[in-house]
Amino acid sequence: MSAALAPAGRVATVTLEAHDLAHRYGRRTGLEPVSFALAAPGVVAVTGANGSGKSTLLRVIAGLLRPSHGRLALAVEGRAVPDARRREWVGFATPELSFYDELSVAENLRFAGEARGLEGVDAAAAAALARVGLESRAHDRVPALSSGMKQRLRIAFALLLKPPVLLLDEPGSHLDDEGRATVARLVDQERPTSLVVIATNDEREWRLAEQRIELRGRGLGHPA
Amino acid sequence: MPSNGSSSGAAVWAILRKECRSEWRTRYGLNAALLFAVTTLTSVSFAVGRLTDRTDLLGALLWVVLLFAALSSLSHAFVREVEGHTLTLLRLVASPTAIALGKLLFNLVFLAVIEAVTVPLYLALMGAPPPKWGAFLALLGLGSLALAGSATLIGAVISQTRGRGALFAGVSLPLMLPVLAAAVSGTRAQWAGGAIGAEVRLLAAYSAALLAASLLLYDHLWED
Repeated sequence: MSAALAPAGRVATVTLEAHDLAHRYGRRTGLEPVSFALAAPGVVAVTGANGSGKSTLLRVIAGLLRPSHGRLALAVEGRAVPDARRREWVGFATPELSFYDELSVAENLRFAGEARGLEGVDAAAAAALARVGLESRAHDRVPALSSGMKQRLRIAFALLLKPPVLLLDEPGSHLDDEGRATVARLVDQERPTSLVVIATNDEREWRLAEQRIELRGRGLGHPA
Repeated sequence: MPSNGSSSGAAVWAILRKECRSEWRTRYGLNAALLFAVTTLTSVSFAVGRLTDRTDLLGALLWVVLLFAALSSLSHAFVREVEGHTLTLLRLVASPTAIALGKLLFNLVFLAVIEAVTVPLYLALMGAPPPKWGAFLALLGLGSLALAGSATLIGAVISQTRGRGALFAGVSLPLMLPVLAAAVSGTRAQWAGGAIGAEVRLLAAYSAALLAASLLLYDHLWED
């Protein structure tokens, strides 16, 4: 399968290309071969049945998984980004992302910013929390947050470094209507400058995208 | 945005500070290790009394106490990330090498704190003659570096296994035995007025080899 997103009237500075990208977890299929070529700015939805490999694809793009087969290439300003450094260009919000219980909400973000060498980390953390409506809980410890608030924190983490590639895995999970509206607003704000990839089966989320990659894999657990 | 050239140093420093802050707020590892060290030390002291004239035993007992205090807690640096499901966050903000170096530095600080409490108590309770401080501290420092290096490497490798507690002790012991042998021999020799050059060289070479092996290995850990 292939998909292409060409920004109208602008030279893309970020491109993301996959060629026969596939992944297996041992004997199990995690992601069946997929090819696409994407460019910033724009919003792309990745859809597919449970276990078709949506989260696996995002983990590969984020550099957390090395694909079993095929190739993924991220280029920024025409220069190829080495696989080991891809995470530096990517913001990733995923349900499997957990934060340190011993640290406050703001401290978790400050740690992430400091580890990535971000300057003005306090202001950046405060701004990211304000964007997801979590600024009033900045000094609370993570266990004091509800599941919806934790989801907002994941999105704030992904936005913290203003990444040119923003990966959102099921961004609306655990969110109320106001939270889903916040996600839609954030995606619209990022649309002109970033490549936003949303993995979802929720129609309200994939309708935010201009392009859609539908994974037709037989699903995780299929031994083929 | 991508990190600059100093990002690895920033990541190591941020991880070290995060580890210290987390440990200070929970004190799980510190309390367990200190309790173990002080209990063992007190038990040995009651069992054998003062060993002022037995410098051969003094060195051995000191390092046995330190070794088991280290074994009881040094694997926590990685295991805590796995059990708290925070490894994904860590991998998104730092390279595996930066993570490992941050953890190694934390383990060194941790051991230094344990030794700052245990060693003076040991010298006083066991009636040890005054050590030759230069040689004694060199052996303590290099021995701690080798212990922390082994524990960090093994902790990283076993952190995602099921029986990690038992595995850590089982895998660590053979790797730490050369450290134990050299440190005991050197500590005994400095009390007896002998030379410690061979032991210092062995500990330094062992630490350097461990560090080199670790730097080669860490980039390949945690790949599914």
